[in-house]
Amino acid sequence: MPLHVWVNGAVALFALGAAVVAWRLRQSALWREAGRELWHRRPLALAFVALYGAVALCDAISWTDAEGTGVRAPRSLLERAFPADFHEASYSAPLASVEFYGGQPLHHPGAHWLGTDILGRDVLLQALRGARVALLVGGLTSLIAIPLALLFGVAAGYRGGWLDDVVLFLISVLFAMPGLLLLIALIMALGRGPVQVCVALGVTGWVSFARLARGETLKLRELDYVQAARALGVSELRIVVRHVVPNLMHLVVITFVLMFSGLVLTEAVLAWLGLGIDGSWGQMIDRARDELSRDPIIWWNLAAASAALFGLILAVNLVGDAVRDILDPRTLRERT
Amino acid sequence: MKRRLGAVALAAALALSACSNDPYPDADASRAIFYNVFDDPPKTLDPQIAYSVVDHSVIGNVYDTLLQYHYLKRPYTLMPGLLEEIPRAEPQPDGRVAYRLRLRPDLRFQEDPCFELSSPGSRTRDVTASDVAFAFARIGDPAVGSPVLETLVKISGMREFGEKLVKRRTDDASFAALRIDRQYAEIGGIAGVQVASPSELVLVLDEPYPQIRFWLAMPFTTPVPWEAVAWYDGRDGHELFAEHPVGTGPFRLTQYEKRSRIVMERDPSWYGARHPGAPGTVYPTDGEPGDVAEGYLDPARVGKPLPLLERIEFRREKEDIPAFTKFLQGYYDLSGIPQESFDRMVHEGALSPEMSAQGMRLAKAVGADIYYIGFNMDDPVVGAPAGERGRKLRQAMSLVADTAEFQRLFTNGRGIPAQSPLPPGIFGYDPDYRNPYRKVDPARAAELLAEAGYPGGIDSKTGQPLRLTFDTPATDTRSLLTFQFWVDEWRRLGIDVQIAATSYNQFQDKVRRGAFQVFQFGWVADYPDPENFLFLLWSGMARTKNGGPNTANFEDPRYDALFDQMKARDDDPERLRLIDEMREILERDCPWIPLFHREGFALYQAWVAPPKPVGMAFAVDKYRQVDPALRAKLRAAWNRPIRWPAYALAAVTVAVVLPGIATWRRERA
Amino acid sequence: MLAYLVRRLAWGIVTVLGVLLFLFLLFFMLATPDDIARKAVGEKAPQAVLDQWKLNHGYDKPRIWNPEAPGDTMLAEHFRRMLTFDFGNSDADDTPIADRLLGGAGPSLAFTLPLFVSGLVLGISLSLFVAFFRDTYIDRVGTVIAVLAMSVSTLLYIIGVQFLLGKLLRWFPISGFDYSPEVMVRFLALPVIVGLVSGIGSDMRFYRTVFVEESSRDYVRTARAKGCGEGRIMGRHVLRNSLIPILTNVVVTIPFLFTGSLLLESFFGIPGLGSITVDAINANDFATLRVVVYIDSLLFVAGQIATDFSYTLADPRVRLG
Repeated sequence: MPLHVWVNGAVALFALGAAVVAWRLRQSALWREAGRELWHRRPLALAFVALYGAVALCDAISWTDAEGTGVRAPRSLLERAFPADFHEASYSAPLASVEFYGGQPLHHPGAHWLGTDILGRDVLLQALRGARVALLVGGLTSLIAIPLALLFGVAAGYRGGWLDDVVLFLISVLFAMPGLLLLIALIMALGRGPVQVCVALGVTGWVSFARLARGETLKLRELDYVQAARALGVSELRIVVRHVVPNLMHLVVITFVLMFSGLVLTEAVLAWLGLGIDGSWGQMIDRARDELSRDPIIWWNLAAASAALFGLILAVNLVGDAVRDILDPRTLRERT
Repeated sequence: MKRRLGAVALAAALALSACSNDPYPDADASRAIFYNVFDDPPKTLDPQIAYSVVDHSVIGNVYDTLLQYHYLKRPYTLMPGLLEEIPRAEPQPDGRVAYRLRLRPDLRFQEDPCFELSSPGSRTRDVTASDVAFAFARIGDPAVGSPVLETLVKISGMREFGEKLVKRRTDDASFAALRIDRQYAEIGGIAGVQVASPSELVLVLDEPYPQIRFWLAMPFTTPVPWEAVAWYDGRDGHELFAEHPVGTGPFRLTQYEKRSRIVMERDPSWYGARHPGAPGTVYPTDGEPGDVAEGYLDPARVGKPLPLLERIEFRREKEDIPAFTKFLQGYYDLSGIPQESFDRMVHEGALSPEMSAQGMRLAKAVGADIYYIGFNMDDPVVGAPAGERGRKLRQAMSLVADTAEFQRLFTNGRGIPAQSPLPPGIFGYDPDYRNPYRKVDPARAAELLAEAGYPGGIDSKTGQPLRLTFDTPATDTRSLLTFQFWVDEWRRLGIDVQIAATSYNQFQDKVRRGAFQVFQFGWVADYPDPENFLFLLWSGMARTKNGGPNTANFEDPRYDALFDQMKARDDDPERLRLIDEMREILERDCPWIPLFHREGFALYQAWVAPPKPVGMAFAVDKYRQVDPALRAKLRAAWNRPIRWPAYALAAVTVAVVLPGIATWRRERA
Repeated sequence: MLAYLVRRLAWGIVTVLGVLLFLFLLFFMLATPDDIARKAVGEKAPQAVLDQWKLNHGYDKPRIWNPEAPGDTMLAEHFRRMLTFDFGNSDADDTPIADRLLGGAGPSLAFTLPLFVSGLVLGISLSLFVAFFRDTYIDRVGTVIAVLAMSVSTLLYIIGVQFLLGKLLRWFPISGFDYSPEVMVRFLALPVIVGLVSGIGSDMRFYRTVFVEESSRDYVRTARAKGCGEGRIMGRHVLRNSLIPILTNVVVTIPFLFTGSLLLESFFGIPGLGSITVDAINANDFATLRVVVYIDSLLFVAGQIATDFSYTLADPRVRLG
């Protein structure tokens, strides 16, 4: 089966999962309250994040046309919002009607809002498509790292003994190695590609949260009601699933939001090393950085990619700050 | 309070003195120093091993070669270097060929403490024929790892020498512990390298190989003192020989921080300084027609003793744009032109008026090289196993690869679109030859694709789209962009080509397994002979089978037979005919899509005497000349810092902070 | 006390051994000896040269198990070399790795030390300033600026600063390095500025949180009630009592001053350890890379032990168990 069918399936599955999680969260008064508070504090940033999410989603759903010339590659919903052959020969300035060099008339005069790049590709489309890569980097990596960290952290904290020793050993080994170098080595070993990069980021990223989860679990294990449940003979798995993990959820959310921007910025550094994901803003910036030396200067590539990257990171950072303020138990305590 | 003010004033003074963009110490401003750049650090300075351009840019100055190229004459002309004359081939009755290499008298190595080993108290000694023999022995010694060993096994006894050496070393530990020159002597040296007298060496080849003269003009065969190899062994605090050259050249290496800078200074004891007037020790008096007009035969230089510089400084620059910016600020003397800055520098093939007004000058040279897209001929789809289908597919792909458009986008139109592997300046290059598959003809390409059984890119037998991969070890965003250009052209034709950019290791692995389809490579000539290009498609060099540079794995018995006849011939009409015939095979079979021969554009500053462009790697620094007074004047004029934004920033900071303090006071009060 | 120290040390050693094992697995998963050799000897070299290179570098040995001589494997060699600090020669150019790393530590320190000190001073004074004016517009503007500064990719800062301060205003050389102090100052200006700007956002946010938290404590209220000046409160009490959380945050980063910065050193041409590392990555030089990672983890583990240990001396409440 072609790749894009799998991707569509994964997107549908992801959307379903997100819907279920959201519905479950709405059941709980605490989370409903937190959500309301967040919306109250950062409406604009939240809307921005949602906008990026929507764009990414549009770009993730794709299908192939039955008819057409050239290669019959699948096109995404986002690409379909633009004309089919939205392509020039080379550079053109934003909203220009002629090529930047040579002054040949364009196929789509005035239609490229942010101009075109050296191969004549529309910059606006590329910048929008970067959202998918960014959300993939942040999202997929978190989907790998957070469950991994929860599994190891909770198991080590709850069971203790040799399991705790092994997990602590793993954590301290991974922690002792320089993060970026380990990341580079892992990507070189796994190969280039979106999934590989996310796996490498996940492997290097789970450690600190695992440590946190382990510490929290140690505390939770000693709590009265957990002890009581244990005394009543409730199975351990049930205690962990019912009582321990739900009490770590606020940490999961905080970690996810705070980790996200770091991951996207790290991808930009990887792109400079030639290890990035194709189509990312990091790649666009790296490609465009020398264009500032052109005369006349070509700024729209760099500006579009940087602005798109900056907008997402800023919105996520603002949301992240608010989320932490709202969910962090220490501040919660101070509030009441 | 007073003390604090003093500290602030001191810091401000320091900041102001630091506020200059001059990257060099002030004392160097008035000296005849040539400033140049390098990006990747040299791998080795061992002349028998070094093979890269940056290695040779140091070695070429520190070591003189046995023969050298004339600086101005084109086509490239050999002249004597350390040798008295260019040796002639002397055919022997048994079919072998001998060359007599006669060294000039009174050649001396650069001063170095390593000569304590042979004559205590002395810091130099004369160069003798046995030093040349030592160099050949090092090439033949497998432990040294010279990359030209396979080429020079044509020297009688070369291979046997290596085999004997390895065997003795593994059998006899005491032999392996001997000093390196004693090991070579004990084995009896190479049979085909005979020291006839202290100044004469006889070289015997098993078969005619006229290209041997070119190897004598490269650093591989330059004499090396055994003392240096024995002394600089990396033990007991000694450096490595690969980091500490001891040569015979006009400059000596004085600073070698290869990750940041390399400095070479004129050697006052150079042969040329002691024997003024010998070939290659004075600036040439004759050249090509046109050299006078270009300023290459400026009377201020002609006949002057070389070298014309006091010092050469190489600084490392990893990124093009910062390097070029520093060039524009006057801190480098010579520069290539980054693609991005080209339009500002060059208008219609000539230097822009703005740059001319600054006194800059432009030099162009076509490189002796070829850049090409290759097909893996072992591949079942694009290669020879697909027979006629594969051939037509390759031809179709060649017909849409638009080199002119590529050059417009990525090289500012620089470069000569290639029709065959041979670049201009190489025997056999025909400027009128047009490869019928190298024009752009999408209609014909679509026809050929249909004939190959893939109408519109769909396999007519299976109904599946044709999918190919473009394999590359380059993962940087810039290279990927250029590959994307070719891929876009093929995709328009209907062929679904995907770029598979993997790490270097994974690419090597694919090549080893023969699991690759389309790739892009380049080749830069070692010497100006067609053999050095056409062997890239000779089956003996096939990559997957033999590990050679024939990465396309092209194999054609008729081509091989023609190659064998062509390789050792003199440049006569028969050789031309053989080359034409080989070219026809390549044209029809299309294992490569020849793309272009690079055209180098170099800019040099007003204070640099015009250097003649060189398409091959040989040392020209000794011919360079600079005018430090003019340089100092122009640099000062170009680099006045613009200070007002600093004052503006300070003012803005104060304007933001003061009202804040006022507000706070009001609130707290 | 002694028992704790011994246990802590043993744990550190086990961690480092784990790092070494992990490194071995990773690097030999990454590249076969053939690949490393090919990159080192160049595309043009024939197979025989390649084989010789592998022999010279010990890459011809069996990897993990040698039935004839159990000690003569690459794995054993790896551990022997690393643990005895006999790092051998680089895969890329055969130079001794130890010398090269020592040579790179100087330029790295020359760059990271001023950056560290000025970053600390600037971060603390700015956030003290902002915390001093908490809940005024200065605080709000400061916080927004910090978040803005955090949201820009370092790559962009580098491009922008080189373009603006280097190219347009000609204040400093765009890149490069020199060992003579008066020229070095010029070269270090731009990378230090970029390092400061890209790090100030998160630093400021962290320090501000610490200060604000500290200044809402009871003893500060008491001091204020006693009529103590606000400036005095901030400078004396808050700053002093905030030092412990700040120090814990800062001390951990000290070992990494030696290792420099991959990105900044490469872009600004500082021949430090970061730049050596990037070169090693590009040159497939695993012999050097593994040493860099090993040294980094050694420094990290040593730093952690030292921090833990100094706590116990500084704060009697920290119990060792």
